[in-house]
Amino acid sequence: MANSDTAGDAGSADGRTLRVVLTQEPPTLEPCESSLTATGVVVRSNITEPLVERDPTSGKLEPLLATGWRQTKPTTWTFDIRPGVTFQNGQPFTAKDAAFSIDRAVNSDLACNVDGYVFGDAKLDVHAVSPTRLTVTTEKTDPILPLRLSFVEIVPRTTDTKAKVRIPIGTGPYAVTSWQTGVSISLARNADYWGKAPAYPRARYVWRSDASVRAAMIDKGEADIATALDHTSAEAGNTVAYPNNETTALRLDGREAPLNDIRVRKAIGMAVDRKGIIGALLGGLAKPAAQLVPPGVVGHNDDLAPAPYQEAAARALVKQAAADGVPVHRRITLVARNGMFAGIAEVTEALQYEMARVGLNVRIRMADTATHLQYQLRPLPRGVGPVALLIMHGNQAGDAAFTTSQYLQSDGPQSTFGTRDLDRRIAAADALSGKARQKAFADVLAYQNTSVVQYAYLAHMRGLLGLSPSVRYRPDSATGDEMRLSEVSPAPAGRR
Amino acid sequence: MTSFLRKRIVSSAIPLVFVVLGVFCLARLTGSPVDLYLPLSATPQQRAEFSAAHGFDDSIPVQLWDYLTNAAQLDFGTSLRTGESAGSMVLKAFPVTLQLAGMTMLLAILGALLVGSLAAYRPNSLIDRIAGLLSMTAASIPDFWFAIMGVLVFGVGLDWLPTSGTLGGPEIWVLPIATLLIRPFGVLVQVVRGSMVGALSAPYVKVARSKGADPRRVVFGHALRNSITPVLTVAGDLTVGLVNGAVIVETIFGWPGIGKLMIDSILQRDFAVLQAAVLITAVTIFALNIVIDVCHALIDPRVRQAVPA
Repeated sequence: MANSDTAGDAGSADGRTLRVVLTQEPPTLEPCESSLTATGVVVRSNITEPLVERDPTSGKLEPLLATGWRQTKPTTWTFDIRPGVTFQNGQPFTAKDAAFSIDRAVNSDLACNVDGYVFGDAKLDVHAVSPTRLTVTTEKTDPILPLRLSFVEIVPRTTDTKAKVRIPIGTGPYAVTSWQTGVSISLARNADYWGKAPAYPRARYVWRSDASVRAAMIDKGEADIATALDHTSAEAGNTVAYPNNETTALRLDGREAPLNDIRVRKAIGMAVDRKGIIGALLGGLAKPAAQLVPPGVVGHNDDLAPAPYQEAAARALVKQAAADGVPVHRRITLVARNGMFAGIAEVTEALQYEMARVGLNVRIRMADTATHLQYQLRPLPRGVGPVALLIMHGNQAGDAAFTTSQYLQSDGPQSTFGTRDLDRRIAAADALSGKARQKAFADVLAYQNTSVVQYAYLAHMRGLLGLSPSVRYRPDSATGDEMRLSEVSPAPAGRR
Repeated sequence: MTSFLRKRIVSSAIPLVFVVLGVFCLARLTGSPVDLYLPLSATPQQRAEFSAAHGFDDSIPVQLWDYLTNAAQLDFGTSLRTGESAGSMVLKAFPVTLQLAGMTMLLAILGALLVGSLAAYRPNSLIDRIAGLLSMTAASIPDFWFAIMGVLVFGVGLDWLPTSGTLGGPEIWVLPIATLLIRPFGVLVQVVRGSMVGALSAPYVKVARSKGADPRRVVFGHALRNSITPVLTVAGDLTVGLVNGAVIVETIFGWPGIGKLMIDSILQRDFAVLQAAVLITAVTIFALNIVIDVCHALIDPRVRQAVPA
């Protein structure tokens, strides 16, 4: 394994290679899987680009490979394609490539994550009218189609349609030069990039699963950026906290007693000492949550306040339910996923303790990702009793439609139950646009809190990014899913 | 010797078969990998197609038969995660672990022979007490703690060593090997010392000493040779443990070895790679045990007669 290169896996600190240490090796670099965090953080807007992109701060859509777009019919959107763009293999980019990419990601049998997560398996009619014009027609009116298309990474029409690719080609500022399985991924600046050239000629990703090692690599100057640091092992001077759009909550299975009683579900929400958990176990890197989406996402309800910590009132509610014959002593399984966030084991134990204090019988089951997914997704496991599942939901798209369709709708892939009224409200909100859409989804989130209570919220999380003094980068709410390397620059010499 | 070898191969092959079959069945008990590889909203048809394409819709006995017949032709299947041949992924990862484990055991044995012999030469002396304390401490320290402390102290604090990684000069080996080394070294020092104390008090050593033989020759030439058998036995077991224990070292230091591959394969339900990794590791351990047994038999003829028919 050893060779004469003493620069280490991440490369030398020569100021020409941006060295990034991730938590894990991306399972794939296939562009149509970019909605997977581990893939998107490398691929999106670095190697491939979409037609439009969402500004993570303002929430507005900005032009990228499309220079403009408009709704030309109730079900049709027209996009103007940017001229003069070439792919990293030298092939010119035209509307045909955009049409091909959308077809490949949404209409194909490739089973891309973007297909189900963003488009809900809807079929699109995509047509390249000219080299610089594209139309996309939906089955029914879709007011947020451009936002959905911001998740489709554009690839040349020579890309394989039968299988997912290992090394993607795109129009982005960087191209993949090598992927050494298990060791590193190297990128080089795309000399023909249509936009502003990024500051670093090269970039190199390595991965270390242990947060303290990632922090140590920043402290020692072996890496310039480290993702997902743990507040207990990171040096304050070399880190920056940022809202990462993730929200943690307990999903309560309302089909099983005692969780089928709304008083018990409400009691769990009241029994959680959010401030205490955030302060003591999350290093203060979170804010108490009252809904599944954080501020900045369309539909976020500013009027909802986190339930205050009311242990006595929660206990009274549980007693009331018990008096009515609800089997409150039936054992509830609290399922959490190892590694979901730093300190998850301690947080899970605190939740168990707090639920027990109000009279509930809770046991913990820590699971790996695959096992957690079995609890998380339909078809839900049978015969496992009442389950409180600790989830962490990241709304990357910035619209509550993506949350409600997954987590709140009666038949949502990640929901255990719901109500007809809630489903009707979600469908009505999804057909709206602008301020009406914002208000309708805000109402949906408030209605869920009073009338359904499928969730006991914990916190809107914040990420911790390790940043070497030699680089300048301002993380935003998209950083965890899409770290744009072109936004990183060397620090001025005097400030290192 | 041939008879001895044949008996040892037969008796060692039985656990090998159980391990391979056990991993195959246990992996399937952990559930289908469909959720990990298909989108959250995959249709039942997509799920069915995925299962059929990878043979997960067959009964366990059929899947096992397919696996065994293909493995007999050295076809270990394809990784769900990377699409690469499972066999080639394992063969790439295995040398990394073998290098680490081999180097570690060599250093552990040499160090333990030296320290253990010195401690045994003068029982209850200062050097014996220091060696005992150090070896007990070393054998008790958790690997992951030592690894992280090594990174913080020698990587960040003193800036002597890289924190992790596989590319670079000899310095990249230091922390991973030190982490792997500490437990076997601690155990082996105790074994060498105990064995040597017994050997040094044996009549033939006393005779040699009374005849004025060179003390170094007595210790290293006579006593050590006769006390090496238990050391070899324990070293063999520890080597097997090292291959498995490399998981922590490889995960923390980012070494793409067999331990890391196994963990990733378990977490990703990448059955083909997991099975190939377990099979190849089990065969290696099987071969290693045979080599150790042969060494025992060559050193000590009594061992050859002790193996039951």
